[in-house]
Amino acid sequence: MSGILDIVYAEYNYWIYVTLMMIGFYAMIAKKNLIKKVIGANIFQTAIFLFYISLSDVTGGTAPILMGGHGGEHAADVIYTNPVPHVLILTAIVVAVSTTAVALALIIRIYNEYGSIEEDVILAARRKLQPEFSEHARQKGVAEVGRQ
Amino acid sequence: MKTLALFVVVITGAMLIYAGQDLPAFGDINSPSYQAPMTQYFIENSLEESGVTNIVTALLASYRGYDTLGETAVIFTAGMAVMLLLRRRET
Repeated sequence: MSGILDIVYAEYNYWIYVTLMMIGFYAMIAKKNLIKKVIGANIFQTAIFLFYISLSDVTGGTAPILMGGHGGEHAADVIYTNPVPHVLILTAIVVAVSTTAVALALIIRIYNEYGSIEEDVILAARRKLQPEFSEHARQKGVAEVGRQ
Repeated sequence: MKTLALFVVVITGAMLIYAGQDLPAFGDINSPSYQAPMTQYFIENSLEESGVTNIVTALLASYRGYDTLGETAVIFTAGMAVMLLLRRRET
């Protein structure tokens, strides 16, 4: 039993990030509100950022900025944390911000068109506007209906 | 529907935790990603090769400069998409 607890303690960071990712994933799947879906996607992304940053951590290590770099006293025995995941995550944060911006712009367009950001209301309004967009037509496939 | 979503989410989380057993412990200095020759090379040589004390900056702007250039293309595309979506139609 203590063996299991040791494993959990040594890797507790992964448990936290998996929990965070589950919260975001659930919000993406189960929520009907489109803004809440975007918030879920952001929580999911944050969990992955934290996972990478925690992988780069070293006990007793300092930030990867060289001590005494520009002519100061050179400290050779300093432990630096791993800089490579930090760089990867800087790129990933940019992509996350971009996708969030496009998603929110799309939601604004949907709101202007249908007057709601609730999935149920949007689908109902769409069925009213296009009667062929019925349950039967939806089963046949949305793309087929769009072509008619 | 919510039960199904919860089921999918819990299964995914359980799979990830099961797979995560092999990952190095938190703060482990012997983790493969830290002991990799590439990481050690960057820590030792990035100041000489790029002249930047911050290793993350050296990696982002020097070693991976083309990747950062592509990143700006991503931001540009996102900005264009937002502008096209939110532009008022003149009809």
